[in-house]
Amino acid sequence: MTSLSTVALKQSLATLLQVVLLSLVWLLANRLSHRFVPAVPAGVLGMLLMLLALGLRCLPLSWCKSGARWLLAEMLLFFIPATVAVVQYPQLFASAGVRILLVIVLSTIMVMTVTSLVVDAGYRFEIMLKRRKRQHGVL
Amino acid sequence: MENLLALACLVLTVALYGLAKVLYRRTGNWWFAPLLAVPLLVIGMVVLGHIPYHTYFQDTHWLSWLLGPATVAFAIPIYEQRQMIRKHALSLSCGVLVAMPVAVLSSVWLARAFGLSELLQKSLAPRSISTPFALAAAPAIGGVPDLTAVFVVITGVCGMLLGEVMLVYLPVRSRLAKGALLGAAAHGAGTAKANELGHEEGVVASLTMMLGGIATVFAAPLIAWFV
Repeated sequence: MTSLSTVALKQSLATLLQVVLLSLVWLLANRLSHRFVPAVPAGVLGMLLMLLALGLRCLPLSWCKSGARWLLAEMLLFFIPATVAVVQYPQLFASAGVRILLVIVLSTIMVMTVTSLVVDAGYRFEIMLKRRKRQHGVL
Repeated sequence: MENLLALACLVLTVALYGLAKVLYRRTGNWWFAPLLAVPLLVIGMVVLGHIPYHTYFQDTHWLSWLLGPATVAFAIPIYEQRQMIRKHALSLSCGVLVAMPVAVLSSVWLARAFGLSELLQKSLAPRSISTPFALAAAPAIGGVPDLTAVFVVITGVCGMLLGEVMLVYLPVRSRLAKGALLGAAAHGAGTAKANELGHEEGVVASLTMMLGGIATVFAAPLIAWFV
């Protein structure tokens, strides 16, 4: 029992440290982006740096995997404070709220329809290419 | 007193989120979806309690801050799925390249058609991408980041609910298309939904969301010039 909880504690501590590591990468990216490449947002820059480090094997995947999984799994929580900003615009949402909602719903339906049809067609095209390549290989 | 209230807001937000998450997982009732239930309850609490927004945000801004590291964390699933990205590079990039302009242009044009102000049109433009990307793109397009953040979350909630319906009616069968539909239209919320469908759907959704976010951020100056 104690060993089980020790394992769990160690795992949580590792996750916490990895979240700290990812936060440090973000802070570094923030500095770099401000100083050198203001056109690239810090988050994107940090992600590219991280990909580079993983790709060049400077950073083992096991050093950031559980931290990343936690951050991504709880991402919905990080969205919540921003939503409360609506209380700053009571008149706006009272007068235009319904229209805004309508825009979002209709546009979302359009994006969903177009994206899924295009990707599905692309997927079938990929399969066709692969099949053709295989046939040529046989011939 | 104000500091204590700010701390209470943080604790309550996290506690409500934890509770909603458990209830949603147990019941599957979308009224308990954390992105729907928690904002509604918290906004209700802030309005009824006459809590100023800056007091609410004083400590909860740390939660928003974590969106930065979360964006960096996307590098890990991308790296892990590099084989799949290579394999489906064509369909994924087509999906992103089509989804992004459809999302931006339909938002702006619909907003214009409904007589919403230019500021609202511009704030709505990047609404379909994940918050950290949207917040980066909004000022470049000429929108208000605060408003964009709210529109992003509304999009997420709508996307989760509409996604289920659309998946029934649209004639798409591949896991790739289902994942892309959710990721492109409803960013993180859609990705969470896609993960419920299956692992491959989840990965495709997160990829579409990220690539769409990156593409929109880089295209922001172009979008600003166009709208």
